[in-house]
Amino acid sequence: MIWLQLRNELWKMFGKKRTYIGFGMFLLAQVCILFLLRYLHGPRREMAHRLELLGYAPEQFMSGLTMAGATLIPMAFFLLPLYAALVGGDLLAKESEEGTLRMILARPISRLRLVWVKWLAGVLFAFLLVLVLGLSGAAVACSLFPSGGLFALIPQEGIFSVFGAETGWEKYAVATFILGGKAVTIMGLALMFSCFNIKPAAATILALSFLLISDIIRQIPYFHDLQHWFITYHTDYWLRVFIDPTPWPDIAASVCILLGFNATILIVGCVGFQMRDIKS
Amino acid sequence: MIELRHVTKKFGAGLAVDDVSLTVPPGEIFGLLGHNGAGKSTAIGMMLGQVWPTAGEVKLRGYDVTQNRRDALQAVGAIFEAPVFYNELSARRNLDILSAYTARTPARRIDEVIDWVGLTGRAQDKVRTYSHGMRARLALAQALLPQPELLILDEPGDGLDPEGIHEMRQTILRLRRELGLTILLSSHLLAEVELVCTQIAVMSRGRKVFQGSLAEARPAADWVRLRTQNFAESTRVLRAAQLITAERDGSHVRPAPEIPTDQIVACLVAGGQRVFEITREEPTLESFYLDLMKK
Repeated sequence: MIWLQLRNELWKMFGKKRTYIGFGMFLLAQVCILFLLRYLHGPRREMAHRLELLGYAPEQFMSGLTMAGATLIPMAFFLLPLYAALVGGDLLAKESEEGTLRMILARPISRLRLVWVKWLAGVLFAFLLVLVLGLSGAAVACSLFPSGGLFALIPQEGIFSVFGAETGWEKYAVATFILGGKAVTIMGLALMFSCFNIKPAAATILALSFLLISDIIRQIPYFHDLQHWFITYHTDYWLRVFIDPTPWPDIAASVCILLGFNATILIVGCVGFQMRDIKS
Repeated sequence: MIELRHVTKKFGAGLAVDDVSLTVPPGEIFGLLGHNGAGKSTAIGMMLGQVWPTAGEVKLRGYDVTQNRRDALQAVGAIFEAPVFYNELSARRNLDILSAYTARTPARRIDEVIDWVGLTGRAQDKVRTYSHGMRARLALAQALLPQPELLILDEPGDGLDPEGIHEMRQTILRLRRELGLTILLSSHLLAEVELVCTQIAVMSRGRKVFQGSLAEARPAADWVRLRTQNFAESTRVLRAAQLITAERDGSHVRPAPEIPTDQIVACLVAGGQRVFEITREEPTLESFYLDLMKK
């Protein structure tokens, strides 16, 4: 039954036009960024200059792979949280707002099962979103730039690395895949708020605010030593794949913390949803 | 079929339902009446396990809804005031989705229900193309899918045109006749309740103020509408013959106990009065309801 209910949740999710906005906007933004990188001289000159300073030949690393990575990072910072939170915030609050939740809960399904099935649907959506993000970025970038190695420049995380083409693609694939963990966490946070008696937009805004506040505090230099206490430090664990050598124990620690955080918000959401009254 | 025992629901400091006990026997069409905010929807919410009672016990089909939701709601269908669905999906897919919250439902059963409510041929259309009446039929279809023994209808006539209301009434009667369902109907439409229900309960400000059969709600007529050549002279004649005990509004008389209307007519004709009309005034559910609300 759970698979049938999960399939139904996916039907509902992908039956809505707004679900596709995220995919469409990702593609549009990627095309815009990559066209600007391809046809404006300034950004490419800046990138070549940095590579030369490090002693690398720019033509080897000004590749489709580097450009795909360069588009993946801003997307993961700005657009991905927005769409993951939008979908998570809609999952229960939208049903409550539109009145379909009363119809569902007139049936013998338990509230816990309903939250669980919706969370699973949200997880699948989150992974699909990052998969499309990674694949479309790579496809568009490779059609505009030559093949070559990966130059990863993420100043805010202190990452400045170069890899050969094969290792670079591996890193890109792994980073894209585990970026799903960030999307799941944001979606789960919005779903948790959505379990309470609030509007879908409020659930989305609360989730985004929580993440922004965490990130703002983390970015204040005085809090640098405490950054492990902020959830956004752990949601950005996927960036550390681009560090050479990759700090796998550090990444594994963040994954464990995210698993705990996700379990906690899911339980809080379940308890909130179980306790509330569902009224028209 | 439905049993509420000393049920109370508070929202913050406000008392929405106050110590209500209610029993709906199997096979009845039971009307739940009350003004806006009387607590009807909250009571229905508690019956369906959507609203947690502050105190008391709610049982459906013999099972406690809060303790054993699965068994209590297994054979229950419900329709709410505004039929809402997943508009971007077809009616058929909506039924697929909603039925899966009860149990795996064979495609044949879904087709059967679509046919029963008269939506064959439109089942693959998106719900956003449906009229209000068609949505009402789809709402009925989703409620019938789990082969219910009990149907809870919360203001199903809201927003329907006169044809829609007529259709709804015929459908409710058909549901009991053909499927033998117990039906709880919460409605503002007193005339509709009067036409379909066998028993009623009236709620006011969170309390149950009446429960009984329609016959109990409409006691035997004790006023007679009388139209004669001269009402004042007619009543004088009837009083002299001790056939009436009261008169009102220049048009109504109250016959003395055990006095039939033909005796009144005979007396008036003998007294030289021409009688144009004489009718026993049947009290309506509306008048009964309004009297209750005044109390």
